[in-house]
This record gives sequence, C-alpha cells and structure tokens, in this order.
Amino acid sequence: MVAYIVRRTLLMAVTLIGMSIIIFALLRLVPGNIADILFDSAGFVDPAEKAALEEELGLSDSIPVQYWNWIVGLAQGDLGFSYVSELPAIDEIAPRIPITAKLAALALFFSVLFGLPLGVISAVKQNTWLDYFLRVVSLSGLSLPSFWLALLILMAFVTWFGTIPIYTDPPDNLWDELLLYSIPAAAVGFRSSALIMRLTRSSMLEVMRQDYIRTAKAKGASDRSVNYGHALANAVLPVVTIIGIEAAFLIGGLIVTETVFNIPGVARFLVEAIQWRDYPIVQNLVMFIGVIVVLTNFLVDLLYVSLDPRIKYE
Amino acid sequence: MQVKTLLAGAAIAAAFAIPLQAYAEQAGGTMRVYHRGTPPSGSIHEEATSSTVMPYMSVFNNLVMYDQAVAKNSLDSIVPDLATDWSWDESKTKLTFKLRSGVKWHDGKPFTAKDVQCTWDMLQGKTKARMRKNPRKSWYWNLDKVTADSDTQATFHMKQPQPALLALLASGYSPVYPCHVSPKKMRTNPIGTGPFKFVALKQNESIKFVKNEDYWKEGRPYLDAIDWTIIKSRSTRILAFVADEFDLTFTADVSVPLLKDVKEQAPNAVCHKVTTNVSTNLIVNRDAPPFDNEQVRKAMAIAMDRSAFIKILSNGENQLGGAMLPPPSGGWGMPAEVLAKAPGYGEPDEDVAKAQAMMKAAGYGPDNRLAVKVSTRNIAIYRDPAVILLDQLKAIYIDAELEVIESSNWHATVARKDYQVGLNLTGVGVDDPDVVFFENYACGSQRNYTGYCSQEMMELFKKQSSMTDQDARRKLVWEIDSRLQGDVARPMIDHRVGATCAQPRVQGLTVMVNSSYNGWRFEDIWLKK
Amino acid sequence: MAIKPIDHAAELSKAGAGVESRLGKAWFLAKSYPLGAVGLILFLGLLFTGIFADVLAPMDPVKTNAETSLQGPGGQHMLGADMMGRDLLSRIIHGARISLAVGLGSTILGCSLGVIVGLASGYLLGWFDLITQRIIDIMQALPLLVMALVMAASLGPSLENTVIAISIPLVPHVARVIRSNTLSLREMPFVEAAKAIGMSETRIAVKHVLPNTLAPLIVLATAQLGSAILTEASLSFLGLGIPEPHASWGRMLSESAAEYVRTAPWLVIFPGIAISLAVFGANLLGDAVRDILDPRQRS
Repeated sequence: MVAYIVRRTLLMAVTLIGMSIIIFALLRLVPGNIADILFDSAGFVDPAEKAALEEELGLSDSIPVQYWNWIVGLAQGDLGFSYVSELPAIDEIAPRIPITAKLAALALFFSVLFGLPLGVISAVKQNTWLDYFLRVVSLSGLSLPSFWLALLILMAFVTWFGTIPIYTDPPDNLWDELLLYSIPAAAVGFRSSALIMRLTRSSMLEVMRQDYIRTAKAKGASDRSVNYGHALANAVLPVVTIIGIEAAFLIGGLIVTETVFNIPGVARFLVEAIQWRDYPIVQNLVMFIGVIVVLTNFLVDLLYVSLDPRIKYE
Repeated sequence: MQVKTLLAGAAIAAAFAIPLQAYAEQAGGTMRVYHRGTPPSGSIHEEATSSTVMPYMSVFNNLVMYDQAVAKNSLDSIVPDLATDWSWDESKTKLTFKLRSGVKWHDGKPFTAKDVQCTWDMLQGKTKARMRKNPRKSWYWNLDKVTADSDTQATFHMKQPQPALLALLASGYSPVYPCHVSPKKMRTNPIGTGPFKFVALKQNESIKFVKNEDYWKEGRPYLDAIDWTIIKSRSTRILAFVADEFDLTFTADVSVPLLKDVKEQAPNAVCHKVTTNVSTNLIVNRDAPPFDNEQVRKAMAIAMDRSAFIKILSNGENQLGGAMLPPPSGGWGMPAEVLAKAPGYGEPDEDVAKAQAMMKAAGYGPDNRLAVKVSTRNIAIYRDPAVILLDQLKAIYIDAELEVIESSNWHATVARKDYQVGLNLTGVGVDDPDVVFFENYACGSQRNYTGYCSQEMMELFKKQSSMTDQDARRKLVWEIDSRLQGDVARPMIDHRVGATCAQPRVQGLTVMVNSSYNGWRFEDIWLKK
Repeated sequence: MAIKPIDHAAELSKAGAGVESRLGKAWFLAKSYPLGAVGLILFLGLLFTGIFADVLAPMDPVKTNAETSLQGPGGQHMLGADMMGRDLLSRIIHGARISLAVGLGSTILGCSLGVIVGLASGYLLGWFDLITQRIIDIMQALPLLVMALVMAASLGPSLENTVIAISIPLVPHVARVIRSNTLSLREMPFVEAAKAIGMSETRIAVKHVLPNTLAPLIVLATAQLGSAILTEASLSFLGLGIPEPHASWGRMLSESAAEYVRTAPWLVIFPGIAISLAVFGANLLGDAVRDILDPRQRS
C-alpha cells in the first residue's frame, strides 16, 4: 500500500511538472499577448510603446527565462500579478475558487440525486416503457446546448416571475448563496445526471447478471432486497469513478453556466483570462485545476481499491 | 394695480418655483448600471473605449465640459468645469483658463494649475511619468505647450489658431489628472476631483463608486453611489435590465432589433435611441495588390449599396453619411443634397454599372473574377456588415472570402497591414472635424490605419481648423469630406444607431446624440423614490 | 484491468442470433434496440441532408436580401429568414453539412491520432509509453472545453481549426482505451503465433492488433459525435467556433438566442430543434452501438 502511494505520488509530480510546461508553451503559442490586447482597447498599436510594455511585464525575456521565473515564483508562493488588474494574481484567483467549488458541489449533488435513483429504476424496469422514457429524458438532457438551456431558464423566470436568478451582488449569507446557485447548479446537474443515470443503469445491469445475484434470487431473496441490497451496492463502484472524472468535466460545463448566470467563479474567469492573454492568471489557475483533478483521480483510485477487495495495487 | 398684482404673483410663484424645483430632486440612493465587460483600465487618457469612459468619467473633472443637459455637443454647449472662465488672446493662439480655487483631489491634496500643465505635458510625452498608451496624441498636433501662470491660471499655447480646441477639452476623454499620482495608480485606483470617488474594481464582477462628499459643486452629486455590475453575456444583461435589476444600461448596448423586444417586455423603460458617432467603414490596404490599383479601390467603394446595409443592420435606422456624422444629430456632416453628389452615394444601380465598367477597365469581368479576402473582428457588429459586403461584391466580379480575426488580434493584424480589405468600426470622441480628420486621415496619425496621406488634404485640414467663422468652416469640411470619399480614404458604410435605456425613476439623464463618450458625469442624476 | 478482445462480427451475429437474411437481421436489431433504430434514422437523415445540401436547399444560404430581413416563416421562406434576409431553411440544411464536418471530422481526426498514439504506446512500451502516458494524464486533467478554447484561440477562427480544436481533447481518451486493449492483445496466442512465423512488429500491430480494438473504438467514436456538435455550439457561444458566413447551427443559435428570441422566435426554435435532434440521434445511436458491441454492457 505504502509503495503504491509513493509510486502514485511520484507519478503525480511528474504529471504536474509536465503540465506546467505544456500550459506554459501552449499559452505562448496563442497569437497575440497582453500588449496587443491593451493596445487594442486604445485603437492602435505603437511599436515602441508596445515594446516598452512587454519589457515592463517581462515578456521580452526568453521563453525559458520566463518559465523559470514563473516556477521559482510558484515555489515561493508568489503567483505574480494579473496583467489586467495589476493586482496580485492570488487575490484575483483565491476569492473565486469557493464560488465555483460551491456551484460544482451543488451540481454534483443534483446530478447524483437524480441520476442514481433513475438509473436504478431504469435498470430494474429494463425494456419497459418507463425505462425507455427515462432514457429518452436523460439523453435529451445531453442533447441540449448548455447555454441554450440556461438561457431558456432565465427567460422563463423573467417572463413568469419578473425576476432573474443571476448573480449581481455578493449574497449575504451561505443560505442565500446556495439558493442563488441552486438554479444554475440544477441546469448543470441535469446534464451530468444523464451521464450518471446511464452509467448506473449499465452497471446495475451488469451486476444483476452476475452469478451471486442469481444465487441470491434462487435462494429466494425478494427482488427488492436483491436489487437494492446486493446489486446496487456493487454497481455503485464504477459510478464513484465516473463522479471523480465528472469533476473535470464539470469545470467545462460551468464555463458556459457561469457566463449565462453571471456567476463570478473561476471557470468563467479562466476563459476571460485566456481572452486577455493574462498569463499569470491562466497558468496558475490551470495548474490549480490540474492539481485538483489529479488529486481527485488519485483519491478515487484509493477509494476504489479500498471498496473492492478484488482489485490489487498494481 | 392689476399689473402690480400680476407681477407680485409672478414673483411669489418664482420664489416658490426655485425651492420647489430643488425639493423635487431627491438626493440619495445607489444607481445600478450594467457594464458589458471588464474595462481595460481606469485611466481615461490611456484608453479609447466607452468601457472606460462611461464608468470613470464621474471620477474626474475637465477644464470645460459639454453641458450635460444638452444632447447635441457643440462649441455652443460648452460650460465651465474646473475652469470658471476662459479667453483667447489677440493672436487667437493663446487660450487662458481661470481656475476654480479650493478644489481638492479625492486624496485631499489641492488642485492647482500645475496639475493642468502636468496632464497635457504627459499627453505630449514631456513628463518623466509615462503612460503605457497615448491614443489621443493626434488631438494635440497644434499644441505647443501649456503653462501654469499662477495657482489659478493656466494657458494653452497653440501653433496656429484653433477655435475647436475647446471642443476637444470638453470631451469626457480630456479629464485633468493629478500631478502627484503615478500613471499606474491612475489605471488601477484613479484619483480625480469629480463627483464620485472610485472604490474598487473586481474583474468580471463589479466597479463601485461612492459620492465625493467634498465635491466643489454645491448640492452635487445627488446619488450616494454608483454600482456597476459586469455582465459579459448580452442576453443575460438585457434580461436583467428587463427584470428591473438595473437602473441604466451600458451606453448604446440595446441594438435596434433588441429595442423592440425591450420595449415590449419593459414598457415603462425610457429608451434613448441615438446616433452614437460610431461608423462602420472599410479600411483598404492600398499598398498591396489588388487594392494598390486605384480603379479597383474606387469600384469597390462605389459599388456598395449602403441603404441595403442600413436596412439589414438596423431596420433602416442607421444613418447614411461621410466621414462626419450626418445632420441633424451631427454638426458637421454633409447634408443629404451634398452627400448625394459624393462619389458612390448616387443611385445604387447606376453606381454598380459604373463600378463594373471600372473593374472591366482594370482587367476583371464575369469570367475573370477577382478573389479577395475581407478581414474583420470576430464580433457580430463587425461580422454582420462584412457578410453583406461579401454578397454585394459579387456584383462587381469580386469573390470575397471572409477572414475572421480573433478580436484580441485585430489591431495587431491591422498594424501589420496583414489584410486586403478590413471591415472596421470607428468611434469618434468629439463631433468635430479637428478630431475626425487629424485622428483618422492625417499623415502619420497612429489611428490612420491605412496610411492614407495627402499633403494637399493636410493643408485643408489645417485650414478648416484655424477658421473662426464656423459656417464657412462647415462648407470647407463638406468639401473635404466629399474628397475623402472620392479618394477611398476610408469608405463609409453607415453611422450606427443604438439605444441606452433607463428605468423611469432615473431623472436628469441626457443621452448625447453625437457622441457616446461625453455625457457620463452623472452628477445631475437622481433617482425618484 | 484485462479486457478480453471482442470479436465484433461474432457479437453482432449473436445479437441477431439465428436470423439469416440481412434485412431480417436489421429488423431484429431494430426491434431489440428501438431507441437505437430511431437514432440511426436521425443520423442517416443528418448524413443525407449534409451530403445533398446543395440539392436540397431551396436557396443560396449566404445570399443576403434587405427586403426579407427577419421575415417570418411561410411564403418564400418556409422557415423564415434571418436578420440578413437569408433563407433559414437553406441555412439549416447547409448547417447539417457543417455539423457533420464537425462531428465526423473531429471524431475521425481525434480517433486516428488516438489510435496511433495508443497502439504505439501499448505495443512499444518502454520510454515511449511512459512519456505518452504522462502527456495523456496531463491532457485528461484539463477540462475538455478549456482545452478546446485554448486550441481554438491559438489556431484562430475557421472551420478546419474548430474541427482540430474539438478533436484534440478526444485523443487521450482514445489512446488510453486502445493502449489497454493492445496491452492485453499482445499477450494473445495469435499474436505470439504471428511473431513465431517472423511477421514484423508493425505488421502485427496493424494486421492483428488493430482490427481487434475496433469495437471499443466504435463505441467511443459514436459517443463523441453528439458531444462534438455541442462543443462547437458552446465555442460559438463563447465567441470562438466556426465563423460566418458558414451556416453553423451553434452560431445561428447562440447569436439569435440573444437578440431575437421574442421578435423572431423562428430563428431560435428551428436551429435549436436541428441541433438537439442531431445530437439526440447521435447519442441514441451511440448507446445502441455500445450495447451491441460491448457484451459486458448488454442486457
């Protein structure tokens, strides 16, 4: 077990270093830099002033030097300054993380809340009209463009209730905040619940064919206790995995949702920062997301290993 | 006796009227406005976008400003701001301002003539403290220097007479900056003398301003605070306005098709549909084939059916005009009868026939079509007209392909001259020929993207600038404008119309009809409770 | 986890057990997987519309007309016209081609790259494998849309670049699946036999290993079709994606949703229906294909 954890930790470190190189290089491949963009808002480009600006921001250094400066800073906990606001990058990133985290947690909660039971029902009632109906509904959730679904929700609110569930001012307390996020979270959750439902269904079906389930049935256990006692318990395992992977996908779904519901979280901020070529923000934020995803995967694997005795550490 | 009674009655009424009016304006409250995206910085002098001017203008004062209650900016609507009085000398080259005393910057330091001198020294690149960008350098081509004669008097020394200097100084783009604050601080934490103090900008989230309790103007501002919420998604912010989340929209954010929608859903909203002095136009790369050929250039410019553009883009609301915003909202544009004689502004069918002949003369025809690329920004207001242009050019044997440039790289591409034809939008800060000509058409100006340069025209630009008789000047401006169209300097498609909407409780707001950059001091605005 | 190689032909015949004629087989499959059949019909509809767009479209999809700007459905324009007076029906029909290009193009591109990487990685092992695995880890740690965004921003807006931007995030998924299949296949007796008779490594990889990884590949690919179309729509909404004058459904929807939902609802409804049906069809098909080809999931 210890050897396994050590090995995985080393691999994680390698992955993260590689990631820092890739994101750093990728960003510099994107045409245009902050100087171009700042001049864009002034409606012209003055080559001398632009060069001075690049010098000021350290963009005229060679690429390896820029990378080294970043990594050294990162190691000392210095993330640099946002090019746009000229404030410390950490002050721009840190306050936005809890917002997205809450939104993501709520979305995940919704998706499990709907996805898991519906998946079980769909599996138990396999090939009945209920199964087909649930599958069609869940698939249609995956078939709507997310921005479109979100916009429709906003329009419905404005038309019917004369109010709009978007973020305009920081909420007063946690309860208000969760209430505010519940609608966008439900929109995101609806989509990921479809994935969870499908996975739960097929996972359940697979388990239900296993010998021990047949044995249990043959021994006269009730359908109910077999389905919900034995089968579900075993079917949950792969679902746990997918929930881990979902965390990464959620960020993608949140970009659009945060944009439409105007929630000032990190997902939308990241897109904005990419558009501004705000390297210190993008680099550090992507690294942060990377750490979260890599850690989640690691924990999910550990969970997997401890939940299923049949799986051995490699 | 009767007369006396009447007079007395009038006097009493008048006596009542003043306090009544003062009573009617209710102080207090926070005005909520939405913003379309994080402004590039808070330093007005470094930016050329309403994203910065609209929120930040209320932090500052100018020497003089456009009367905030008059919709059409002109030399006649200029009122005192930090300058109480001003006068030209005999030679008409020295403009002396008498300055208000006792005015304090938001950080408590006193405002003096030194600050005025500093600001324009910086704009001319004479100070040690340098701005990152200086987009309006071309405005001061004629400024020799600014001197601080005493604490309360400053003089602008010009190279030649320029009556319109006042028009430039009255713009929202011409605030007075404090000497003692660095350009960096002005970008992130601007200090002014204006009615509102900057509190904080949160990227992607909000910009907040509070009332300047020490404002030098008695009884102003009425509002306690202005809160700007940044909403990137246009659908979201319009819906939010409809749902009464905001008192005011961003300037000209409501397009003509959207306006109908807003009016239906929020029938009480007061929407000001105005010309914004932003034109849609073409920039033609005259240094590279095929548009180094004057015939081809001219053919393209006259073949455009501008009324079709206007009808499609704005349901017929956008305005047809030349370089200057057309009347009645514009003060200097060619009137319809003059415009009709300008090259390319005649009957569309005849123009297309003429253009076809020119193309044939240049060696192109139905069987030998010219392939070109039309470049534009990847934003709808740029892309939409470009798509129409593509379609219209087919009539004159041009097969154009659209090259959409990611918005952030647009000016970089233009600066590299990495385009054949560009579809561009030009915003004009002040409706005055001195701004439009020297910024966009003068030799060597940074914002003259195509590098159009004619010494003869330069002389005309300078001549009109020095003229005191504004009617005579207007005639000359028309002639210049018409020639610019004939030269295909920057072929105009239309002048845009957009709406700014406010909830009915917003009082004392005048939306300017010939600029979206000069009317946001916000000191006279109050909210009806 | 060792995955048994799947003989997809055998699986197919098992699924249609005992049915002889091809038509009969198809009918049997359709009856067993009614949702899949619906998906297939929708997908074939998309394919047909996309291929014959030039013939099917009543008008030129880029022809602007000031007179018909925002004209409602009926008359000359069956589904109405957009702001530029372009025929909506024709644009939706041509949009099918764009969606196909995006869906199929990015899937094929992503899968091909993924197969090459996965096959090489699983077959060569050693350093090459170690490095590619780390790169794949890194790519999978980045959210798909973020990857696509960065790619789209760096490549610039065009149809080809959008296809590339959407395909790249698919590569690690495919590579991972192919690698694990290859790993278990290379221990198989028939591979050993091929080696014994002196076949070259490349030839073994291509002739024996590759065909046996087809089933999981098809499962992955069909699942990707729908999400590629949606990713393009999201990119369009965020201001990247396929630019005008291409009639991309995503762009049509994201732009009209903002401006015309009330004044010209047809501009929002019809592209919305088109995009949802296409993705829905692709998803149904993907589900059925997975059920058929992946016996572990079959009921």
